[in-house]
This record gives sequence, structure tokens and C-alpha cells, in this order.
Amino acid sequence: MTTAPATAPARSAAPAIVTVPARKPRRPAGLLAISLLVAALLAVPLVFLLIESGRAGYATVASQVFRSLTATLLWNTVRLTVAVTAACAVIGTGAAWLVERTDLPGRRLWAVLLVIPLAIPDFVVSFGWASLFTWMQGFRGAFIVMTLAVYPLVYLPVAASLRSADPGQEEVARSLGVGRVATFVRITLGQARGAILGGCLLVALVLLAEFGAFEMLSYQTFTTEIFTNLGLPTEVPAACALSLILVAISLVVLAGEGLLRGGGRVARSGPMTPRITLPLRLGAGRVPALLGVLVLIGLALGVPIGASIYWIFQGGVPSVSDSVSVSMADAAWHTALYGAGAAALDTLLALPVAVLAIRHSGKARHFLERSTYLVLAMPGVVIALALTYFSEQYLSGAGYQTAPLLVLCYTIMFFPLALVGVKAAIARAPADLDDVARSLGHRKLAAFGRITLRLAAPGLVAAFCLVFLEVVTELTATLILVPTGVQTLATQFWQYQSSLSYAQAAPFALVMIAVAAVPTIVLGRFFDRTRQAQG
Amino acid sequence: MKQLAVTGLHKAFGSHPVLTGVDLDVPAGSFTAILGPSGSGKTTLLRLLAGFDQADAGTISLGDRVVDRPGLHLPPERRQLGYVPQEGALFPHLTITANVGFGLRGKDRRGPRVAELLESVGLAGLGGRYPHQLSGGQQQRVALARALAIQPEVVLLDEPFASLDAHMRASVRADVQQICKAAGTTAILVTHDQDEALSMADSIAVLRDGKIVQYAAPQEIYTRPADPDLARFVGDANLLDGLIADVSAGTRPAGPAAGTGASEQPAAVDTILGRLPVEPAAAAGLLPGPVTVLIRPEQLELGPLGGPTDEPGCLAGRVVACEYYGHDAVVRVQPDGGAAGQQIIVRTTGGPQLPPGSAVSVRARGAVLAWTRS
Repeated sequence: MTTAPATAPARSAAPAIVTVPARKPRRPAGLLAISLLVAALLAVPLVFLLIESGRAGYATVASQVFRSLTATLLWNTVRLTVAVTAACAVIGTGAAWLVERTDLPGRRLWAVLLVIPLAIPDFVVSFGWASLFTWMQGFRGAFIVMTLAVYPLVYLPVAASLRSADPGQEEVARSLGVGRVATFVRITLGQARGAILGGCLLVALVLLAEFGAFEMLSYQTFTTEIFTNLGLPTEVPAACALSLILVAISLVVLAGEGLLRGGGRVARSGPMTPRITLPLRLGAGRVPALLGVLVLIGLALGVPIGASIYWIFQGGVPSVSDSVSVSMADAAWHTALYGAGAAALDTLLALPVAVLAIRHSGKARHFLERSTYLVLAMPGVVIALALTYFSEQYLSGAGYQTAPLLVLCYTIMFFPLALVGVKAAIARAPADLDDVARSLGHRKLAAFGRITLRLAAPGLVAAFCLVFLEVVTELTATLILVPTGVQTLATQFWQYQSSLSYAQAAPFALVMIAVAAVPTIVLGRFFDRTRQAQG
Repeated sequence: MKQLAVTGLHKAFGSHPVLTGVDLDVPAGSFTAILGPSGSGKTTLLRLLAGFDQADAGTISLGDRVVDRPGLHLPPERRQLGYVPQEGALFPHLTITANVGFGLRGKDRRGPRVAELLESVGLAGLGGRYPHQLSGGQQQRVALARALAIQPEVVLLDEPFASLDAHMRASVRADVQQICKAAGTTAILVTHDQDEALSMADSIAVLRDGKIVQYAAPQEIYTRPADPDLARFVGDANLLDGLIADVSAGTRPAGPAAGTGASEQPAAVDTILGRLPVEPAAAAGLLPGPVTVLIRPEQLELGPLGGPTDEPGCLAGRVVACEYYGHDAVVRVQPDGGAAGQQIIVRTTGGPQLPPGSAVSVRARGAVLAWTRS
């Protein structure tokens, strides 16, 4: 006769359930408006490309697309992208596993050295190889050079994910009777899956956008062909058509990565207490493993740096002529100026989009944020080309090859990079803290400035450095848009090496490596810390 | 005097209504708990009070100032409400002194006021440290000192003790209560923990499905809950089927407290525990017919083992489980002949350990509550 004698969770259920309320504050109209403007700015190149192609007419574009050259370019581009991406996946993952999970001797040092090739521009790596070995040409040369230049794009995220993943899972697998190799395949690779895919995506996008290295190695891809067509006003439809194909391939890569990633999420159960686990003992495999890492570092780091030093001393007395040192100072100044301008602009523009994405969830806002990643599918040469034609069509050539247009081009190109960094930074500052500051009598913007900006500052600096670094080592768009009479480090280097003045080019190569290496190491540490702090 | 007055407050997120007409008057200097399960809208209510969100309809007044009504929204920085969020939310890049002084102006930020506040929460001398160097309980105290620094008339506490371990929670609760009383501040505590609300608050407003379903003193909430769901929410409850007995029937079972001094014939209800008197004050609205009867576990006692179980008001059964808490024990009894799962909860103090399967008898003491079933 009793009804269900339910009991409230009284003292027996002491561990409180922390409620996480679905917080949807008022429509952030201002933020939304600014973010829309940013998204519109980023869409300019793509929209313009479509308009220009439409102006040329379907027949013209089709005649450009469906010809034998396109097939050759497609074959060259795709086979190199696939081959290098696969090689980078294997080398990057293998190196990361050796450094993070085994007792490889000297692995702390290798962890730093393995990342540095990221700081060496691809065209400097190819300069190192091509200037020393004449057989480094065509597919073979492009494959070796690009693999050595970009494998850190896989190494870095995989190493970070292995570091934060729970080694206990591997121990459990072993205790369940799964062997060492099977454990690596079933557990370790599974943990690093997202990082490997993300790294491969970056590698593929870099390959699609690369110009300098391929030009030097006489390897023809879409990007080099677009660049060649640029100089000829009659070839505008051709350049547009090729750009559209290139963007389409990039979109396929982006979508493919999204599909492959799917729902595979690396979860970690239990509290995030740091665990000390013994690294895997390599035993007899130590020597070959160590040799492998040393050879990799030697080829990726030693050859470009060694070649540069070799060419400086080639003239006998290492005397840097006055003209070189003057042009160097001038080029460095302009590089720094453009880099700082684009970096500051990107960090600033990414801020509202990041705040919107992190603090105000919603489908439309999510879409807005994701749309900015479309820029990733736009190689620098395409963005530069679109901006060039844009200034020709609508500004009657004003702005073309001026500093503002160049900085704008950098800003569009590297916005997604800045956004990733700024989002990570904003995520470190809980919105709750702003609320508290407001309840203590501070206005909205004051609270944001004193709390969120202050807490996000290290991440904002990191985002700034990341963009700056990219600008310093950018060649393709710079060659197209650099103001008349001005040289940056990259263009000056390019000019010298094009005229086979290797002794003059080499110092520029070394300066670019030095300028880029420091931020790379700092950034590596920052993202490492962020990852550990966030879990 | 009313310190905080809320009338007809509505808030929806998209098509999902969260608050559907909240009315609440909080007297000055009181310690009021807003108690509700997850998803009841209590955090939304708090955020509306603080001014972080804007209500769709209704008004909020602080003292004699209207701070929120259609067409008017005073931003949080002009409401002068103290706000202590979950887990304290101290500014991690600032020292304790800078945290406490954050809402003060100019020189006051490092002045004696900050030191006084730190002393009042028992943390004198720790001003130079950073939040991560303090324990969870200390962080909560700093968060309270920071909120009190701007001399707010009302302090809002958003589940501030949820992240503390059970041991620490009791002492921090007592401290917070005492500090608020000493400062003369009106405190509003949002919590889903009924023990916390019952032990700390002068009065409790129970929020359910976007409405306040009962607003009363803790004793009233516990002994006279507005409906069976609420009874279950604020503590262990036996909710039994009953039938209102003919009020003219004179026979009353044991229960000296029942109906004493009542001029009218007291109502009684028939249950599996026999005929029980209904609280006179609660009997007014009852219609003859089936009712739901509330008997708190501590209103039941276990009869002598092996004693007579066939006398009226005595229910025979077997022990299913016995949870021992030290100060008391909760015994679950399966009535003989009842369907499986329909257990009766009895709270006993002392007494022998009862292994599962022991035969016992259960008897009710005192008057009970009943609600007509619809």
C-alpha cells in the first residue's frame, strides 16, 4: 500500500553535483558586428577570385582548366603532397614517440633540435641542398627538401599529445597481454591520432602553397604556374582558373581531415595528476634509434646551416661587403616593420572573434568563427593575386605594391594562426572573473582589460610572435606585393640566389634562421605549458 | 525592512523558459537561501540579481532603488552587490591584497581597510600571497572579503562551498555565516544542498521549474513542506498512501502530541501504520478520500523485537539494510506482505545493530502531514 518511498539524496550523497548552467548572455551585438566585418575582410580574396572568373566567362575558364598542362600540374601537385605528407607522418610521429616515450639518450636536447627546422624557411632548406648538390632537382629533390623542411609540423603536435596523454593506458594494454608493437599501434597511435591528422593537414596545406623551394628545384606545381602567369596581363583568366583549382584541392584536404578526424576524441579518465612513468626501454634498439634521430637532425638542420656557412667562407675572407650590410639592415628593418604591423593587426582582429567563439556559444557564431578558417585553403599566391587584381579593378592600381596592401595580405593569410593562439589565450581567462570585476564596480571594458586581457597577455604575445615569424619567412606573396624599391630579408635573399650570388645570399639565410629560431623555441615552450595547464 | 524585492521575474533563453514569475522579498540583514535542484534556474536568478543578465519581464529592487524593470537595466558595476562565485574565482594574477582591494579606489587598495577585511576573515598576514598558494577554504574567505570590501548591502553567494571537501565545508560555512552577520550584510545563498540551506539560512526559498514554490523558515520547510516533491527534496521522506478517516471517529491511536488543544475534532488518516492524526494546521484543505501522507524517518520508531506486532498502528517487517552514521542510523524495512521495493525508512538513535533479515515492528509517533491526491 505504500507509494514509492523515495529518499532525497541526503547525507549519503554528500559529494555535491556542481551545476554547470547553460550560460547564454544577451546577444553580444557589438562583438557580432565586428566579427562579421573581420569575416567579410577575410572573404575578400575568395569572393574576388569568383567574380573575376565569372567576368572571364565559363568558356575561357574551362579552356584554361581542361588542357594538358592542368593535368601535369595536378599530377605533380598531388603526388608530391601525398608523398611528403606520408613521409612527414611517419618521421614526425616516430621521432615524437622516441623522444617522449622511450629512454633515448639525450632526448631533452633532441626535443629542441628537432623543432628548429620549422624556423628555417623552406626556400632556405632548398637553397642549402640545391646549391651543394646539383642532383637535387625535380620530384626527388622536392620530396627530400620538403620532407626535411616541414616534418616538425607533425612532430610538434604529436609530441605534445603524447606528453599529455595518459601513459597508464599503455601499461594497462601491456598488462592485458598485448605486445609492445600492438600496444603502439592500438593505444599510442590512437592517442596521437588527432595530432597526427592535424599535423598532416598543415603539411599538405604548406605543400599546396609552396613556391620558392619548387622554383629553385625546377618542380612545377599549381603555385609556381600561377606565379609565372602573374606577370602577364593577358593571362589573368589562366591565373584565376588555376587558383580556383588550387583552392578546390585545399578545400578537399580540409574537408578530408575533418572527416578522418570524425568523433575520435582522446579522453582521459581520472584526475589530471601528473604521473611518473618509466620510459620504454629501447634495449638493443637504442643505437639505431639514436642514429636515426641524429641523421634526421643533420639533414634537416645541418645541411641548410652548413651550406650557408660554407658559401659565406667560399669567397676566402669572410668579409661582408658594405653594400651587403647596408642592404641587410634595410631589409631587416622593413621585414620587422611589416611583420609587426601584420602581427598586431591579426592579434587585434582575432580578439573579438575569439571572445565570441569562447564566451558566446551558438550555431551562427560557431559558423562565423569556422568560416575564417577558409583562409587556410587560400595559398599566399592566390591571396596576393586576388588583392593585386582587386587594386587594379577597383582602385585603378592604387595600393598595388604598397606597404598597406602587403600588410593586409599578410594579415589575411595568417589570421587563422593568430585566431588559434588568441582563442587558447582567451580560454585561459574564465568569464566568471570578468563578472566578479563588474560586480566590484568596474565597467565592462575596464573589467575585460584588467582581467581577461591581463590573463590572456602571454597567449596574445605568442600569437603575435607566431604571425611575425610567418611574415619573416614568407616569400611568395612578398615577391608579388613588396613595395617598389624595397627589399625584405626574403626578397633580397631571393634576388641574390636567383643570380647565383650564393655568397651574398647566405648571410640573409642565416639571419632569417636566427630571427625565426628564437620565437620558435619560445612558442614551443608556451604551447607546451598551455597544454599542460589545460590538460 | 525589505532589502531586496523581486516581482514577476521572467527569463527565457531562446524558447526555453528558465524563470517563470519569481516573487521574493528578502528582509534586511537576513541570511536567505535559494534552494533548488540542478536546472531549476537558481543560477539564472542570481545572475539577474547581480545584473550579468537582463530579465525578460518583472522588476528587481535593491532597498528603494529599482535596478531592473522593462526598459531599465542597471549594469552590475552600479548595483553594489557583493558576488562570491563558485570556487571563489579569485584573480589568479593578483596578490590576495590586490584581490581584496580590487573594488576599492586609489589609495584604499593598499590601505588599512584591506588589512581589516583580511583580518575579519581570519587571513591576516597572507596579503602578499597569490591565490594558488591558499587552500580552497582560504580562497573562499578571500572571495568573501573581496565582495565585502565595497560595503555591499547584499552579498550573493553562488554555491560557494560545493568545491570544498566535506570536512572543510562545515567550518567555512559557519565562518561565512558569522562574517556576514558581523558585517550586517544581507546574504543570499544559492545552493542545491538542502543540508546547507537548512543549517545556514534564516529562511529558504525553494525554486522549482522557474518558480518559488515555498518561502519559509528552515523548520517550516522541513516539517511543513508545500507538497510531496518538496518534502522529498529537503530530506528523507516516507510518502505513504492514506485515506482520510471519518473525522467523527473518536478512536485515536497513540500519539500524545496530536490534536492537543484543538477545539475541533482533529482529522485522522488511515495508513499501513494504522490511523494517524493529521497536523491540525495542515488538515484544513483536506478533502475526504485518498491522500499522500508524509512521515519523516525520525517520526518512526522500531518496536521491540519479537514483541506483539498485531496491535493497531504497528507494522511488522524485515530489515533490508542498515546504514550506520555514528550519530544515528537509517534502517530500511520491508513491510511483511508489501510489494518488493516499497520500503519504509526509519531513523534511529542508538539501539542494537540490526542485521538484514531481522524481524522488526515499526510504529509512528506524532501527527503527520497529508495532501489530497489529485
